[in-house]
Amino acid sequence: MHTQREGQPYLADHFGSLESQIDASRLGMWMFLGTEVLLFGPLFTAYALYRFLYPAAFQAASHHLDIAYGTINTLILITSSLTVAMAVHFAKVGKNKRVVAMIVLSLLAGFAFLGIKSVEYAHKFHEGALPGKYYALEAVKEPGASLFFAIYFLATGVHALHVIIGMSVLVWIGWRAARNTISPEYYVPVELGGMYWHLVDLIWIFLYPLLYLI
Amino acid sequence: MAIATQNADSAPHEHSAARYYLIYFVLLVLTATTYWTARHVHFGSWNLAIALAIAVTKATLVVLFFMHLIDHKGTAAMVFAASVFFVLLLSGLVVTDNATRFPLSNPPEATPELKRNQLPPPPTGADDTWRSGSSGI
Repeated sequence: MHTQREGQPYLADHFGSLESQIDASRLGMWMFLGTEVLLFGPLFTAYALYRFLYPAAFQAASHHLDIAYGTINTLILITSSLTVAMAVHFAKVGKNKRVVAMIVLSLLAGFAFLGIKSVEYAHKFHEGALPGKYYALEAVKEPGASLFFAIYFLATGVHALHVIIGMSVLVWIGWRAARNTISPEYYVPVELGGMYWHLVDLIWIFLYPLLYLI
Repeated sequence: MAIATQNADSAPHEHSAARYYLIYFVLLVLTATTYWTARHVHFGSWNLAIALAIAVTKATLVVLFFMHLIDHKGTAAMVFAASVFFVLLLSGLVVTDNATRFPLSNPPEATPELKRNQLPPPPTGADDTWRSGSSGI
């Protein structure tokens, strides 16, 4: 544990100033988010390659997805991004009660997103739109269609895992705000946790058109 | 102490919350636009380009204003841009590799416009003449 300097309860010993400490925290978070982008990169690459190889099958399989689920989930995630941005805003100006309110709204959006996703998954399981050798969808029989659903489940599954992790981080942020352990001088946990949630939104911004729209 | 006086400057100036609502509104409009163009505008393969352009615009707004990259130090932008660059490099080169292969090595639907008589001639030496060394070349 670091020692605390007098009058600067948040400043760790190995930083010259709180400013450089906060900058280092942000840079570290961007590096982590960079690795998250690299994690999703191969999934987008697989999509690009197999879409190039099987354009007709990908189009048919994509049209088979319910565009309403995807669009509603897009709106839900964008709205949750706003509420998380507002949570960071209220943390900056020291209104911790409103931070908690915004976090609760964001968590509700997260639950709504996962709920819609699970309804969609159940529907896909039921009709046999499964990856690999389990593919048994009568409506789309082109070769390559099972690859679309393999990528669909992998990409949305890894994304849903990130939604769950992001919601856990939001709970922690809300807890800290409720206990007033953040302040306008030091709200780094809210800021970095919020950045993680925005990344979850960011990935979905690309998944939505690629999977549902085209 | 000099360190203490720096604290006042450490937090970037907080913009009013109106900025977030404005970005939110633009994101909603862009979502409606991408939905509408995908359903009702048929430009063939251009639809993919339009959808991706809108997605990139939305992502840029989220990164710059919701994630505050515009307020952060330049190194943060460099780190993030580098990871995006490598993803583009990976996906771009993988697709380019397949797109420039001998057409018959890809599934037929990858090149639907390809007629059999437009195929490049098979590589010379496809028969067995090379084995006997009697090729006239």
